[in-house]
Amino acid sequence: MDFLKSIAIAASGLRAQAGRMRVISENLANADTAASSAGVEPYRRRVATFKSEVDRALDAQIVSLGRVATDPSEFRVKNEPGHPAADQNGNVKYPNVNPLVEMTDLREAQRSYEANINVISASRRMIQRTLEILKS
Amino acid sequence: MAITDLPLFSMLRARMHWHQERQRLLSENVANADTQNFRPRDLTPLQFDQATTPMLAAIGLERTKPTHFASSEASSSQFQSSRSGGFQVRTSGGAVNLEDEMIKVAANQMDYQAATTLYTRSLGLIKTALGKR
Repeated sequence: MDFLKSIAIAASGLRAQAGRMRVISENLANADTAASSAGVEPYRRRVATFKSEVDRALDAQIVSLGRVATDPSEFRVKNEPGHPAADQNGNVKYPNVNPLVEMTDLREAQRSYEANINVISASRRMIQRTLEILKS
Repeated sequence: MAITDLPLFSMLRARMHWHQERQRLLSENVANADTQNFRPRDLTPLQFDQATTPMLAAIGLERTKPTHFASSEASSSQFQSSRSGGFQVRTSGGAVNLEDEMIKVAANQMDYQAATTLYTRSLGLIKTALGKR
C-alpha cells in the first residue's frame, strides 16, 4: 500500500529532524564549555547534515542524518585572567556556539518536523477515506 | 465482467492511484526539505486519455481455443503495481518550499476525498439498480 510508504518516508523525516534537534541541544548545552586548561580546544560547534538515500524496501527516497560535521569557525575569546584555562595573556577560549543561531536552527527543525507530521496525518486520513468505501 | 471494467470506476481508480503516487512524492519532498541538492518532484497532471490506457491494458490469459472462457482482466492487477504506476514524474524546480508542499498535500487529500466519495456514490448507484437498498 502506497500510503504506508508515504508514512514511512515522513517518519524518516521525523527521525532525521529529531537527530538534528539532538545535535542542536548538544550545542546549546555546551555553549559555555570552555577548555579545561590552556592550549586545549573548547567544545566545537557541531552541525547536522542530511543525506537523501534510496530505501530498497520502500523503493523511495528517504532522508537520514548524515555525518555530523564540526564548525571550523573561530572560537570566542574572553579576557578572564582568573579562569583556570587562561593563557599567559589572560584570554580564555569559549566554544563557537551562538545561542541565537542555535535557536533559529531549532525553530527550523521544529517547523520541518511539524510538516512531516502533517504529511503523516494527511496520509492517514486518505487511508481512512479508502476504507470508508467499504462501509458504503 | 468485473466492477473495475466500468469506465467510471476505472477512471476513479486511475485518479486514486495518481493521488496515492503523488502523496508518496510529496512526502519525499517534505522529508528531504533540508537535504542539500535535493530537487523536489511532482507528478504531471493526470490526463485520462493517456493515464487510463496503461491501467486498463492488463495482462490476461491467452485463449488458445475459441471454447475457452475469457479471463477476468482484474485478476492480473499484480502486474501493474510498477513504480510510479505509469505516471510521469517531473522535477518541480528549485529548493523545497515547505508551505507549497503543505498546500499540495492538503489539495491532494481533498481531491482524493472527492474521488473516494464519487466512488462510494457510484457504488450506491449500482446497488440501487440492483435493488438492494
